[in-house]
Amino acid sequence: MTTPKKAAPNLDTLALTRRQLHVIIILDCSGSMAGDRIASLNYALRSSVPELKEVARENPEIEVLVRVLSFSSTADWLIETPVPVGEWSWQDVAAGGDTHLGDALDAVEASLNADVMPGRQLPPVIVLASDGYPSDDFEAGLQRFLANDFAKAAVRMAIAIGGDADLEVLQMFINHASLRPLRANNAPDLVEFIKWATTAPVKAASQPTGADDPQSALAGQLEQFSAEDTDIVW
Amino acid sequence: MAGPNQKKLPDGTRFSNLGGVRHGVIDGFIGQGGQGAVYAASLEGGHFALKWYHDSYIDLDTGLKQRLTHAVHRGAPNQSFLWPLELVEIAGQKSFGYVMPVRSGDYHGMRDLIARPPDRVELTLPQRFIICCKLSEAFLQLHAAGLCYQDINFGNIFFNPTTLDILICDNDNVNVEGADASIYGTRKFMAPEVVRRETLPNTKTDLFSMSVLFFYVVMGWHPLDGKREADFSILNSEAEMSLYGTEPLFLFDPENTANGPVDGLHDPLVTRWRNLPSDLKSLFTRAFTTGLTDPNKRVLERQWRSAFTRAAHAMAACGHCGGEYAVAAGAASCGYCGAALEPALYLDCPRGLFALTPGHGLPQHLLGGGSPNFKTLVGVVEGHPSKPGVIGLRNLSDDNWKVELPGRAPGLLPPGKTIGLMAGSTFHFGKTQVSVREAQAKEVAAV
Ligand SMILES: Nc1ncnc2c1ncn2[C@@H]1O[C@H](COP(=O)(O)OP(=O)(O)OP(=O)(O)O)[C@@H](O)[C@H]1O
Ligand SMILES: [Zn+2]
Repeated sequence: MTTPKKAAPNLDTLALTRRQLHVIIILDCSGSMAGDRIASLNYALRSSVPELKEVARENPEIEVLVRVLSFSSTADWLIETPVPVGEWSWQDVAAGGDTHLGDALDAVEASLNADVMPGRQLPPVIVLASDGYPSDDFEAGLQRFLANDFAKAAVRMAIAIGGDADLEVLQMFINHASLRPLRANNAPDLVEFIKWATTAPVKAASQPTGADDPQSALAGQLEQFSAEDTDIVW
Repeated sequence: MAGPNQKKLPDGTRFSNLGGVRHGVIDGFIGQGGQGAVYAASLEGGHFALKWYHDSYIDLDTGLKQRLTHAVHRGAPNQSFLWPLELVEIAGQKSFGYVMPVRSGDYHGMRDLIARPPDRVELTLPQRFIICCKLSEAFLQLHAAGLCYQDINFGNIFFNPTTLDILICDNDNVNVEGADASIYGTRKFMAPEVVRRETLPNTKTDLFSMSVLFFYVVMGWHPLDGKREADFSILNSEAEMSLYGTEPLFLFDPENTANGPVDGLHDPLVTRWRNLPSDLKSLFTRAFTTGLTDPNKRVLERQWRSAFTRAAHAMAACGHCGGEYAVAAGAASCGYCGAALEPALYLDCPRGLFALTPGHGLPQHLLGGGSPNFKTLVGVVEGHPSKPGVIGLRNLSDDNWKVELPGRAPGLLPPGKTIGLMAGSTFHFGKTQVSVREAQAKEVAAV
């Protein structure tokens, strides 16, 4: 008999597969986003990366994976193969072109299946940030999207960029009674909202709650957002 | 909840207690949570942590001030709580806060026990059992004072990997039993009747959350996550309601295996479970079978405390792989690596078994009365300096021990001396007589 060489190698929870949480970020990179909006968006995503990593670290039971899609005249995956959040880094996007949101939803829908998301899954988190009015057949795309089981179960969040954003379209995407789009009318808000929308649903998995379901808990948190004072309004 | 653009209090902000008698100053920002932010603060020469609530939160939680006032008035249940010491206010501010002791940097959150490397803290099973023992003691004191915690979970409990001391934070949800709760709790830690929204948190739901926490600390896994959990490809709200609310079923339920371990998926858990001391397994089984459905049949703090105290001394480790097993189980081979195991020696003490493994300290509490104290040792097991495999027991007490070795005349072991150990020997610690036994070799029973 000797003392253990390594402490408790037998508690090998590393060998146990964790339930996955896919975070999918859909970004509007159409022409109307050019200038300081796209710059703020890049900044917001860049600063969300470490925050999401931190939140994921606080939830060791789940494995967080990230995908990013940008859309303008076409829908293009910036990260198509889900990347573990620990390895995620941000590459800036540029703006230009139309607003093919319908195409974007089709692209995401096509990737919401058991091939890309095998095994035990948490409801995915799908965050859409957009300023514009879709220029393609958005409603048909949305219909196909919402028919997908993963999309149906997903926590869908939307950020409206600019005071003139199409809230109705974003609300249709969210498709939940009490959860509303976040309205970012300036750069600081956008940064705050992108961070919140990407991290809050992950955090919710281990946060004390007084709400009956996760979506309503998020809606409750939203009510506490206070507008940031700033002179620059989009 | 986190997110609101709440302004931080600048360093140097002055505050006072509610009577305005004692004055202090904020020294720096520590962190921000859902309900408020925590700052380092000085108050009359002492260093404290100051929790300052978001304005929006004090409107929501109307019972907060009363709960805190009561908590401050009655004082901490024991030294494991970072308890509110005094309510404080800041001139011109709508909100309020409280000061509490500071948690030092050598404490880790409980999640670090199941974290991915390199964040992971590795502890042996006996170390984990000692942590659980201290948690039982702390919650016993809390509940005995007529209070309930309401939200026992990973997030607000910390441990020191060296001393194995624990700290329980976020005591602002602590409530008088029977008063309206401010929250339901945390996902996967809530009692089934709270998940079903049939009741608000109370002492009995605390007992359930505590047993989930113990299972996590020991197994690194949730007790209700088995086959049925694995079969849900998407864990949505309905699935969670079924798994943790309406149809909860223990992973190791001896009668119903519908949510049992899945081959290839839960194997490490099965091995660990098989190698736990059987009385601890019985407690877990009770907690997550009858205790699931009947809050009055839940395992009580004292029962956990004594089971964990016993378990902390009753483990041995495979010399080949380090895999830990219950010393009295008498396994012929290691459940982890398959290597043959030497028959293990142990002392059959009045308060539990004591594994005779080198380095293991014999605590007073195994021999006689007194509450568990893992620091007061009367003896320690030592390996022979030159003969591998030969072990002895050193007398660390101030008294002579009478020792009877098989086939020899009784002798005395004076303080500071060591004697070789063999099955059949008997030690007399004062009036307490204890024998050295050898585990009977057998195959480890199935789950
Ligand atoms: N007494 C203390 N000493 C040192 N750090 C502390 C103390 N109390 C809290 N903290 C730290 O301050 C930060 C904020 O704590 P706080 O309790 O407000 O939030 P939280 O636990 O993150 O979330 P929640 O509000 O949901 O409970 C955390 O990082 C916490 O670990
Ligand atoms: Zn082994």
